[in-house]
Amino acid sequence: MKLINESSKTKIVNNLIVAFLAVYGISQKRFDLSEPTLFHQLVTEVISPVQEGLASSKKSLSSFWDNYLLIVNTSKENNVLKKQISRLESDLTTMEEVRKENLRLKRLLSYSDEMSHQKIMAQVVGWDSANEFKVIRLNKGRKHGIQTMAPVITDHGLVGYVYRVTENFSDVLTILDQNNRVDVMVERTRTHGIVEGVFNFKCALKYIMRNEPVEVGDKLITAGVGGIYPKGIKVGMITDITKENFGMTLSIEVIPSVDFDKLEEVLVLVGSSVEAPVTEPVAVGETKK
Amino acid sequence: MRMRFSQMLISFAITLALLVGFEIVTSTLLPALGWKEYRLTFNVLIILFMAIKMDSPIVPWLILGLQLIHSIFSIEGWALGTLAGVIVMLSANYLKEILQLSTAFMTMLTVQLFQFIWYLTVTLVICLKISDFDKFGLILWSFIPGSLLLSLISPLIFWLLEMVWRVPSEGGPRGVEI
Repeated sequence: MKLINESSKTKIVNNLIVAFLAVYGISQKRFDLSEPTLFHQLVTEVISPVQEGLASSKKSLSSFWDNYLLIVNTSKENNVLKKQISRLESDLTTMEEVRKENLRLKRLLSYSDEMSHQKIMAQVVGWDSANEFKVIRLNKGRKHGIQTMAPVITDHGLVGYVYRVTENFSDVLTILDQNNRVDVMVERTRTHGIVEGVFNFKCALKYIMRNEPVEVGDKLITAGVGGIYPKGIKVGMITDITKENFGMTLSIEVIPSVDFDKLEEVLVLVGSSVEAPVTEPVAVGETKK
Repeated sequence: MRMRFSQMLISFAITLALLVGFEIVTSTLLPALGWKEYRLTFNVLIILFMAIKMDSPIVPWLILGLQLIHSIFSIEGWALGTLAGVIVMLSANYLKEILQLSTAFMTMLTVQLFQFIWYLTVTLVICLKISDFDKFGLILWSFIPGSLLLSLISPLIFWLLEMVWRVPSEGGPRGVEI
C-alpha cells in the first residue's frame, strides 16, 4: 500500500515551493522603503483612480449616509418634505465642506510659504488595508515630481515620508507606523530621542535617559538628522511619562501633532532630502582635501 | 465535488474581482466614512475559505495570486500573507475531520480560530523582521477587534464564495476538488 499517493505528493511539493517563495519574499522585504515592481505599478495605476474617485466623493458619501440612509419608515408626505430638507441640508453640507476645505488649503499654503522647499499638494485617497501598517495613499506620484523618502507634512506637523511611488500615486509611511523612526528633539530642553508608532494612533518617544528633565506637555520637533526630515517640523506632544523600576530610559507616550483622523490634504516636500554630510576620517596632522 | 480547470479559472477571476472590491471598501470607503483605526482584512477571509473549503494541489498558488493583488493595497506585501495562508491551509488539513461548518455560528468560530493562527504567524514574522519582540502583544492585540468583526460577517462572505466556487453549502469542509 502506498503511504502517500500522487495527489498528496503534488500537494506537498506545491506547498513547499510556495512556502519557500514566501520565506524568500519575506527575507527580501523592507518595511521602510520599497521600489514597486512593474506588476505593482501597472495594477496600482488601474485600481487607484477608483480609490481617488471614492475619496473625492467623500462629501457626497457622508451626506448620503447622514441624510438618506437614516431616513426610513416615514410616510410618503413626510418623505417628500424630508427629501427637500435633506437636499437643502446636503447643499449646506457641501457648501460648508467647500468652506472648510478652502480654509484648510489656505492654512496649508500659508504654512508652506514659510518653508524653503519645493512643495506638492496632494490628497489622501486611501489607507493601508492591513491592520499592522499605518500607510496612506496620495493622488500624486512620480509624474508630479514626488520621489521616495520625500517628507510629507501638513500645517499641523509631520505626517511621514514617501515609502514607494508609482507614476500617479504614492504611499506614505506615517509616523504612526512602527517601521517609521523619526529623529526628534524636545523643543524646550533640546534633548534628542526617537519617535516610533505604537498603537491606537499614538507614538512612543524612545532613548530618553531617566535624568533628562522632560515633562508632560513638552513639544517635539524633528531634529534634522537622519537624512529624511528637515529640522524644526512639529511632531507631537508628550502626554505621559513613566519611570520604570528598571532600565536606563524613560517610557514616554506621544500624541502626534497631526490629527490623522481628519487627514485629507498634505504637502510633499521635494528636493529637500537632508543629505547627511559625508565625513571621511582624517588622520591627525593631515589636512582634508 | 470536482471542478474543471477552466471553471476554476473563471471562479478565481471573480474571486480576484471581489477581493479588489473589498480592498477598496476597507482602504478607501470605510476610512472616508471615519473608520480609520481598524481594518477588515478581507484577503484573510477569502484565503481562509480556500484553505478550509478547497482540496487541491493548486490552492497554495491561488493564495499567492490573491496575496499579489492584496499587496497593491498594503505595504505588507504578498509574502507574509502567503506564508500565513499556507500554514493555515496545512492546519485545516490536519483538522479537516473535526471541522464542521454546518451552522453560521460554527463558521464564525472556525474563522476566528484560523484567524488567530494567521495573526500569530504574521505577528511572529513581523517581530522577527523588526527585531523587536516587545511589540508582540501590541501587534497581536491590534488584530483582535477587526478579526472579531470579520468572523461575524464570515458566514455571509462564505455564502458568496460558495456561489462563486459552486460549493454545496451542506457539503461541509473540503467541498471543492480541482
